[in-house]
Amino acid sequence: MTLPADAIDRDAVELEEVWRDPPGIWGWFTTTNHKVIAKRYIITAFLMFIAGGIEAGLMRAQLMRPGNTLVGPDRYNQLFTTHGTTMMFLFAVPIMTAMGLYFVPLMVGARTVAFPRLNAFGYWTYVVAVVFLYVSLFVNTGPDAGWFAYPPLSGPEYSPGHRVDVWAQVVTFTEIAALVAAVNVIVTTFKMRAPGMSLNRIPLFVWAQLVVAFMIIFAMPAVAVGSTLMLAADRALNMHWFNPAEGGDALLWQHVFWFFGHPEVYIIFLPALGFITPIIETFTERPLFGYSAVVLANITTAFFAFGLWVHHMFATPIPEVGQSLFTAASMLITIPTAVQIFCWIATLWGSRPRLAVPLLFVLGFFFTFVNGGITGVMLASVAFDKQAHDTFFVVAHLHYVLLGGGVMPLFGALHFWFPKVTGRLLNERLGKWQFWLFITGVNLTFFPMHILGLNGMPRRVYTYLPETGWGPLNLLATVGAVIIVLSVVVFLVNVAKSWKGGEIAGDNPWNSSGLEWAVPSPPPSYSFLHTPFVTGRHPLWETTDGLPVVTGLSVHERQVLVTTTFDAVPDYRHSMPSSSIWPMYLALCMGLVFIGSIFSPYFVLGGLGISLLGLVGWAWTASNKREEERVALPDGAVEA
Amino acid sequence: MNAMRPVSDVTELPTVTFGSRSLMWWGTLGFMTIEGWTLAILVVSYFYLRQNFDAWPPLRTPNPSLLVPTINLVLMLVSVIPAWLTQQAAKKLDLGGVKRWLIVSTVVAIPIVVLRWWELWAINTRWDTNAYGSAAWTVVGFHTSLLVLDVADTIGLLLFYLIRPMPLKSFSDTADNSFYWYFTVGIWIPVYLIIYVGPRIA
Amino acid sequence: MHSAFDPHSPQARAVAHLWWWMFGVGFAIWMGVTLAMLTSIRRRDATEPDSEEGKNVRGHTLAIYVGATLVVLLVFLGYDFAVGRSLAERSAPAVKILVTGHQWWWELEYEDSVPSRRMITANEIHVPTGQLIEVKVRAADVIHSFWAPNLQGKRDLIPGYLSTVWFRADTPGVYRGQCAEFCGLEHAKMAFYVVAQPPAAYAAWRAASSAPHTPPADSIAATGQRVFLSSGCPLCHTIAGTDARATVGPSLSHLASRMTLAAGTLENTRENLMSWIVNPQALKPGVHMPPIPLKPAELSALVTYLETLK
Repeated sequence: MTLPADAIDRDAVELEEVWRDPPGIWGWFTTTNHKVIAKRYIITAFLMFIAGGIEAGLMRAQLMRPGNTLVGPDRYNQLFTTHGTTMMFLFAVPIMTAMGLYFVPLMVGARTVAFPRLNAFGYWTYVVAVVFLYVSLFVNTGPDAGWFAYPPLSGPEYSPGHRVDVWAQVVTFTEIAALVAAVNVIVTTFKMRAPGMSLNRIPLFVWAQLVVAFMIIFAMPAVAVGSTLMLAADRALNMHWFNPAEGGDALLWQHVFWFFGHPEVYIIFLPALGFITPIIETFTERPLFGYSAVVLANITTAFFAFGLWVHHMFATPIPEVGQSLFTAASMLITIPTAVQIFCWIATLWGSRPRLAVPLLFVLGFFFTFVNGGITGVMLASVAFDKQAHDTFFVVAHLHYVLLGGGVMPLFGALHFWFPKVTGRLLNERLGKWQFWLFITGVNLTFFPMHILGLNGMPRRVYTYLPETGWGPLNLLATVGAVIIVLSVVVFLVNVAKSWKGGEIAGDNPWNSSGLEWAVPSPPPSYSFLHTPFVTGRHPLWETTDGLPVVTGLSVHERQVLVTTTFDAVPDYRHSMPSSSIWPMYLALCMGLVFIGSIFSPYFVLGGLGISLLGLVGWAWTASNKREEERVALPDGAVEA
Repeated sequence: MNAMRPVSDVTELPTVTFGSRSLMWWGTLGFMTIEGWTLAILVVSYFYLRQNFDAWPPLRTPNPSLLVPTINLVLMLVSVIPAWLTQQAAKKLDLGGVKRWLIVSTVVAIPIVVLRWWELWAINTRWDTNAYGSAAWTVVGFHTSLLVLDVADTIGLLLFYLIRPMPLKSFSDTADNSFYWYFTVGIWIPVYLIIYVGPRIA
Repeated sequence: MHSAFDPHSPQARAVAHLWWWMFGVGFAIWMGVTLAMLTSIRRRDATEPDSEEGKNVRGHTLAIYVGATLVVLLVFLGYDFAVGRSLAERSAPAVKILVTGHQWWWELEYEDSVPSRRMITANEIHVPTGQLIEVKVRAADVIHSFWAPNLQGKRDLIPGYLSTVWFRADTPGVYRGQCAEFCGLEHAKMAFYVVAQPPAAYAAWRAASSAPHTPPADSIAATGQRVFLSSGCPLCHTIAGTDARATVGPSLSHLASRMTLAAGTLENTRENLMSWIVNPQALKPGVHMPPIPLKPAELSALVTYLETLK
């Protein structure tokens, strides 16, 4: 017996009234709607991808011939530093977490994330980072000591001025935004799942995001400690963390940074693996083979990722016995990833899938990422790494794994879920052009770099002599870069045309199985009219006579269902706060505190003072006006 | 939209719960994990730098003093009691009890924060003297930020209770505030031992 | 060629062999996965994938391939450890050199048990072939990395640390190296050369370098020496046998015997040397040497003098 249409319509109107943002500009600044915030995150992060791409383009233009004078050393050093910082901190991690912030609640049947205002705060903090970095670059104060900022070069003696301070604060902001997103993903996934969605029924997209959220919590603090509490302190407060003359140690930075830095690349990579499973399942019309193995593989990869960091330091004078352990770990992390790849191929095997654009990008992943994975195993060897470290061989490896293993699945995901977010499909033909240009461009740009590196070309050089013979392959790489640019242009044209003019998608254009396809495209502000009830891993493939739902959440306030952690049994109804200006206010205050700290302690004090107002405001508005409260008492009773 | 088939109803479920059933508790746990892990990284770095020195503290750097830190440690351990009593009152929705024990918690917390200033100087060397000073000040300084944040949170809660009628779910947040206080005191114990006692033992 | 593919030492050769094995096996694996992927989308399944049989076949195949991956990894792990051990030869080096990295040049000190035979020079290392060379590396300012791919893997120069690498050059030749850790503005122009000579030739070179410097005989060169001593040069540079003993910049005692200037940036010719002295910033912007304005006659005499410093 299904719900009558008039009840549905009435509830929809009332829920929309309660969940929608206030009108106008005020609504734009005060929204706590996870879909709106995540969409902004994705768009901003994609703009950063383009900015980072422009920086790369300028570098490739400079390197295309020996002795080129397009870009001088100072500008070049700012370019590669900003390129790395932008791509790693302002594009890759934010876009992956944003995909989680948009789709995890939908995929688990929740109306929002666990902490909507915290989510907004995270986004505004990220925006502060973007603006600060790029304003600094344009006023010639862009960071120039590399995205990894090794002291003593990045310390007060060899990097006077504020360039490295800009870097340190940008890292601080993005780290806070990532941590906040991670807490949201974890609590939403553990406590707000649809009834019946026990842990072993969670979609693999959500498993990947959950695992990554835990990784963020244990990795990001390391870079925060390093950049803010150690490097910035050495620079501003005359501390001696990295000053060997007073007992400090330049290698301490490398340990702290890479303890973050290695998990960081898996934080980028694992969500991409989470995109692949739903795409393959959808276009093969089969459930994934080896669900448990893939879940375990995700978790194992995450653990291993924390045990590899020293492989970035094989050329340093640390004891070789210790190094060998990291070689072993760096090689063995291949196994869980191989398990995932084999499970996907096993799922694809004999299915004659429809080669839609999302699946093409997944196939491109196999072709490109595996190459990068193999060079990764090579680099795990200490002896070989000592030849390849800090050369263009590593540049080749990292781009193969990040572009092949991260960006290709991401483009597949963007094509796959674009209809859900906008209500319209992207153009298939333009998508195929984009794919073929991208895969050609990536391989043409980065394959020659393996050879360049082993032929002696180090990283981070603004020019080179003709006698080295590096000219021809550099030129080839630059041609490849142009092709990558073309593919991104094709994508942007596709998005522009399809956003308002693409084919209407409907709820479930791909006939996929996840809960996000049960709501309209785009979803209303409240996402789910009623919380779904789940009986398996593929809810929409398992329902024949209407989606089973759970009724009883209020239509007069923003109420969500909280369930138990393991078996998702309904536990209590939680009231979410309304839209609020305090998250943005607080993010701007924090921006003042941290950016001001570069210039004067008075900014810090003043900033903290006005932050206090924000915290008070946030707390004051924590509860909604109309709340009917039923309290669960220790003895099990429920009191109204 | 798909047709929807209702299979159960949740209207009778509570709207306020305590402890690990509540979303805020999980948020608090997340914050504790992040901050605790950050402190752990700082402590490991402190020990890493120690390898560069034969003597610790380095030669001509005095030992940290024990008097003020030990007094403050005792105060912090004592402060757990009113925090616990606040939590019990909150779980029973006892408004009077909550106000009373929040006042006591505040009265105990303020001297803790004040003494923390002298605790920092009890390291007996400045942060810019050498790597030892930098590390010790950063470890204690970072914990200080957690301490100040939690005390501010406690005072804020108290003022809210005094100024305006609070929704019942605030009792859940008050209980979580005590949870956070246990954490702040708990992680201080190993830090106290490492920073103030450690150099005298080794 | 300045390349890891062109080994001229047992150390570099061991790594090159490891590389070719890894490349071969890696390429085969990559081809295999790509073929499997392409095949997987073209075949039509014989068995139902959801059936017991379908799952069993997949499960067993998976286990085999994961097992095979593990075996390949373990084999390379073992091979890597073996190479590591073979690179650890370090007994009885014939020559010991201390390399100090500076922004953006290489200070070289040839150690010797006889103090008068010690020699300090810059940017160009001479070694005898067929003998074990011990190179200790350290940094004066920021992190650098010492890397000559034909001869050995790289070693980072970390301020506060002293580290050691060993190599043995098989054949005479000139092997280029370049700094391989980003060290600031002119990281790209911090190269060095290793000149491997037969032992007799090396010994002759070494003896000549340690010989005491005689004052310039030629009058123009003598003028040049006066120009050197009065133009601020001694504030940064050393020339053995004169009062110029500063160590801020590279030692010029053997400048004329080097093939390049400014750490491999320019060929060591009269014209290049003159351009460098007059405006180093135009050739290597950011280098710590200021422009030295000199009248043409002074410049010419100075360079004539510097050309005598072999």
